[in-house]
Amino acid sequence: MGDLPILKRTLAVYTGLFIVFLYGPFVVMGILSFQAGPEGGPQFPIIEWSTYWYRHLFGLTEATRIAPLPIREALLRSLTLAFATTVVSTVLGTLTAQAFRRNFRGSGVIFYLVILGMMVPGLLLGLGQALVAQNLGIDRSWWGTAFVLHVVYTYPFAFLVMLAIFNRFDPRVEEAAWSLGVSPAVTFRKVTFPMVFPGVLSAMLFGFTLSYDEFPRSLFTAGSDVTLPLAIYGTFAVEIHPNIFAFGVLSTLFSFTILAIYGLLMAASVRRARIKASGIQEDEA
Amino acid sequence: MTSSETLTRPAPAAADPRAEGWFARNRSLVLASPGVAWMVLFLLVPLGMMIYVSFWTQTTFAINSTLTTKSWVAFFSSDTYVGALLRTLRLWLTVLALTFVIGYPTALFIGRFVRSKSIQTILLVACVIPFWTSFLIRVLAWRPMLGREGAVNIVLENLGIISQPIETLLFTETSVIIGMVQIYVVFMVGPVAFMLARIDDSLIEAARDLGASAWTIFSRIIFPLSLPGVVVGAIFVSVMVLGEFATASALSGRKVNLLGNIIVSQVGSLKWAFAAVIGVVLTVCIGVVVAALLRLVNLRKEL
Repeated sequence: MGDLPILKRTLAVYTGLFIVFLYGPFVVMGILSFQAGPEGGPQFPIIEWSTYWYRHLFGLTEATRIAPLPIREALLRSLTLAFATTVVSTVLGTLTAQAFRRNFRGSGVIFYLVILGMMVPGLLLGLGQALVAQNLGIDRSWWGTAFVLHVVYTYPFAFLVMLAIFNRFDPRVEEAAWSLGVSPAVTFRKVTFPMVFPGVLSAMLFGFTLSYDEFPRSLFTAGSDVTLPLAIYGTFAVEIHPNIFAFGVLSTLFSFTILAIYGLLMAASVRRARIKASGIQEDEA
Repeated sequence: MTSSETLTRPAPAAADPRAEGWFARNRSLVLASPGVAWMVLFLLVPLGMMIYVSFWTQTTFAINSTLTTKSWVAFFSSDTYVGALLRTLRLWLTVLALTFVIGYPTALFIGRFVRSKSIQTILLVACVIPFWTSFLIRVLAWRPMLGREGAVNIVLENLGIISQPIETLLFTETSVIIGMVQIYVVFMVGPVAFMLARIDDSLIEAARDLGASAWTIFSRIIFPLSLPGVVVGAIFVSVMVLGEFATASALSGRKVNLLGNIIVSQVGSLKWAFAAVIGVVLTVCIGVVVAALLRLVNLRKEL
């Protein structure tokens, strides 16, 4: 279909408009975060350009009737929760994917059970978990009832990523190491781990970002100490101010930092693999 | 036999995956068991509990485990709740259709017209980047876009397309639909573009050599081959839209109540049994939709 220049151009323009549609709200959000304060509202026109709402976020402005976003502790909780979720779901995902390297009885059912975790809407799972906790007399908390649901959500992603990695991984490499008398622990550290490391990194990236932003699963299960998305949801009910946009801009920048770290680690691991591979080739030659 | 065994496998017996013993024989099951246990305890048990509690007796501020179908009868005999069910289904169909209509041409461009793999990747990454902002903030960002003095009205007025600002953009069903389409359309674009990029070029060349028109090539070859991607995208979009409540409450001024919103308000007023009924209704809807979509194509064969 490459010889349809008119169609190609039309679709190119369309795709451009599509991307404008995807990014429009962000641009508007970015612009409005520099609204004058405290009298400027979360809409056009911009009264005066200022960094008032950024300072407001950090409590650097004089007290007004607009309370600062209650995010400090919520942010800390969300980061802790995301970290714990990342670790547990990556370990579970790797173990399960390791199991799936061989066909075994019940593998079909287990596969769908795990995948179900990313398919069931979070609100329903949160409701069910809240009911269980209530009837067992367990206090609902972000580090307990909410945490286990976050893992239910991120573990399938880790599992699928690791499954894809293991599918491309030649088990004879490990067998060669074993047959040369290398202990299983050393084999894992020197052979298996470096080969699956990019997958582990991707699984961790999924786990962290999904949990950090997770909201429907936390709504009924986090109890009274809220996580960051819950704190933001709390501002829905009342009037919104540009400080939420300033926070949106900062949190997007934070996400990009994580993404950049991931990219750097990934690039480093690819480079290391390439150097090793070329070293082996030189040895052979 | 024994000597070769010792020669090739001097490692301890535990390292030999074929070594006898219950753990070695059931190695896969042992490895999978922590994950399975987690999913049973924290996925199946809560869902089962939700179904169970939907038959409990609801009193003003509490529930007790006397079984009854009262909450079910109350749900289906109430115009408000049946109306919310219909509204949820209507909104889901609208959003699903729009994500397909809006997303497919983009996927077609990325998957079939962009020749370079790296530009393909860049375009797909450009579609995914918005997901790095908090979901709730992405929803809120639509408010200054759609309001009476919002960006959309300002742009349209300056272009001379409208003379009066459109009042119905914000706090209506339209705003909820716009917000949801923007958030979920990428889940349609990704899988479709992936399937389109996998189509063998020689197939299309052969069709063209045999004199097929561009439209025939699209409708007889390209579209059918992209169908698994459409189905995967539709499953993603459906599951997420049917379980939605935050977009509706942020962009409709709490005027558009989906089943999800009703669950939230019922839990807020401690009507647990009733919330559970709605939860089960929603689960059934999602199950039926996903099963119907999976009947369209055999995904296990296609992927």
